[in-house]
Amino acid sequence: MKIVGITSCSTGIAHTYMAAESLEIAAKKRDIEIKVETQGSIGAENVLTEQEIADADAVIIAASTSVNKDRFNGKRLLEVDVTEAIDHPDDLFDRVPNAAIYTTSGEVKTEAKAEKSGIYSHLMTGVSYMIPFVVAGGICIALAFAFGGINAKGDLAAAINELGGIAMGLMWPILGGYVAFSIADRPGLVPGMVAGMIASNMNAGFLGALLGGFLAGYTVQTLKKVLKLPPAFSGLLPVLILPVISVLFVGLIMKFVVGIPITALNEGITNWLNSLSGMNSVLLGLLLGGMMAIDLAGPIGKAAYFFGVASLTNLAVGETSTVMAAVMISGMVPPLAMALSSTVLGKGLYSKEEREAGKSAWVLGLSFISEGAIPFAAADPIRVLASVTVGSAITGALSMIFNCGIAVPHGGFFVFLIPGAVENVLLYVLALAIGTAVSGFLVTAVKVMAQKKQAAKE
Amino acid sequence: MTEIRDVLKTAFINFDLSATEKKAAISELAGTFVAEGVVTNESVYLEAVMKREAESTTGIGFGVAIPHGKSSAVTEPSLAFGRSQAGIQYDSMDGQSVHLMFLIAVPETSNDEHLRILSKLSRKLMHEDVRQKLMIVGNVEEIYQIFE
Repeated sequence: MKIVGITSCSTGIAHTYMAAESLEIAAKKRDIEIKVETQGSIGAENVLTEQEIADADAVIIAASTSVNKDRFNGKRLLEVDVTEAIDHPDDLFDRVPNAAIYTTSGEVKTEAKAEKSGIYSHLMTGVSYMIPFVVAGGICIALAFAFGGINAKGDLAAAINELGGIAMGLMWPILGGYVAFSIADRPGLVPGMVAGMIASNMNAGFLGALLGGFLAGYTVQTLKKVLKLPPAFSGLLPVLILPVISVLFVGLIMKFVVGIPITALNEGITNWLNSLSGMNSVLLGLLLGGMMAIDLAGPIGKAAYFFGVASLTNLAVGETSTVMAAVMISGMVPPLAMALSSTVLGKGLYSKEEREAGKSAWVLGLSFISEGAIPFAAADPIRVLASVTVGSAITGALSMIFNCGIAVPHGGFFVFLIPGAVENVLLYVLALAIGTAVSGFLVTAVKVMAQKKQAAKE
Repeated sequence: MTEIRDVLKTAFINFDLSATEKKAAISELAGTFVAEGVVTNESVYLEAVMKREAESTTGIGFGVAIPHGKSSAVTEPSLAFGRSQAGIQYDSMDGQSVHLMFLIAVPETSNDEHLRILSKLSRKLMHEDVRQKLMIVGNVEEIYQIFE
């Protein structure tokens, strides 16, 4: 018989380990193969692998704290207080073959199923830690616009705007950090956060931050296996050696291996856009609109945005830029479309967390904070990015057709409210509504199709 | 490298506790911490220990108890060992009196290495031969040998 176990106690100093040892001693006597993960104040040690869990006949959890059982879906699972493992380990081995099979219920079940592919679960860990940062940051920025106009004038508005910017800026290290944390536990956090921050600094967008997170997580995981220190130095591993080596390794790769092509991509697109002068304006709107959505403030979106901003520089007083107008309005589509899909059209397709993020995505979208769509895009990149790109491109083209123009580079809905700030403001709103509806329906439809396909497989 | 003797200092070892009751015994061992300065405020530390006891007894059976407290009154992770041939009334899980007592003091923040030592020691205590040896050892060096 093979058994896996977890022990944990409230202070995590003594009982956790006594229970683990006690189970191991009793198992040895009975010729039972056992591995016990200890979740004490040092963190999780002797961590069970997916393979070990899959191979185990049953699971024993001896804990006086709440232990996450998601990993054990479909397993015989006996859950007792930590003291029982210390006092009566034999008793537990008698009981465990008849223990009930543990199943996570309802919504959690689909998540647990998806956890089979580890990459997805790491991704979702990162995304779920990131969401509150996006929401807090985005809402603060919107509030600053509401109090101080689109330039957040006034001490209070400026302060709130700054807070929003900080919270929003932290989303990148949090995304990278917690993807790595999910892969490699606590030591993953440092290189993951650093990688996320680098991705942010070099405009690599959420795809860059995700890439950094995975790189950091797997790097640390490998280092943990490879680095074998003499016992005298093993104490240095978690506090000195792992953090320094992983940050250097991951950071330099991000900067030189990932960074150079990303910078080149960004510059290449910028040059290419500049060479397009004289292009049909509707096509240009279509193109810029699609670019604003395709990587959500990544290297491509940033190039499109700054192309729009550059078009403002030579404006005389009272003139507006149709290019900037197309860029801004299409950048509002992704979060609004995801809000539409997750809170109205296809509620059942999203987790509770995503639906909550969807509610605030309405506000973020109206404030031209494209990042509002990132939690959705990170969770399901291909379907979401493709869908929002289509709608954004349509909105960009329509904005050009309607000859809409603005003279400011940001502000979203708050610009609409300023009399005379937007040329053809009603048609501008119409362009936004059409693109949002197209993307919203599209993403809902492809997600329904994906779900049906999944169901057909099973 | 931190070793067992850095945590379980000679001064913290008492082969013959005079107390025969739980609280008095804990207090007697805690006194060694105070004398060495690793606990700056005895009553604050004891409060943390008794709070942990209130959650569930640390008398884990087989005549062993491992009361422990995490408190800001502790300056470095420390371990005291007390033995009582007569036995201490301890409301243990198996109802028997306690002969071997390990009192653990941990600061609010401490490095993993010390915690690791405590975890190793906790594991050792689950072995019957270790407990038997602890009942008969006569000097400090022998204790270190048992754990190393």
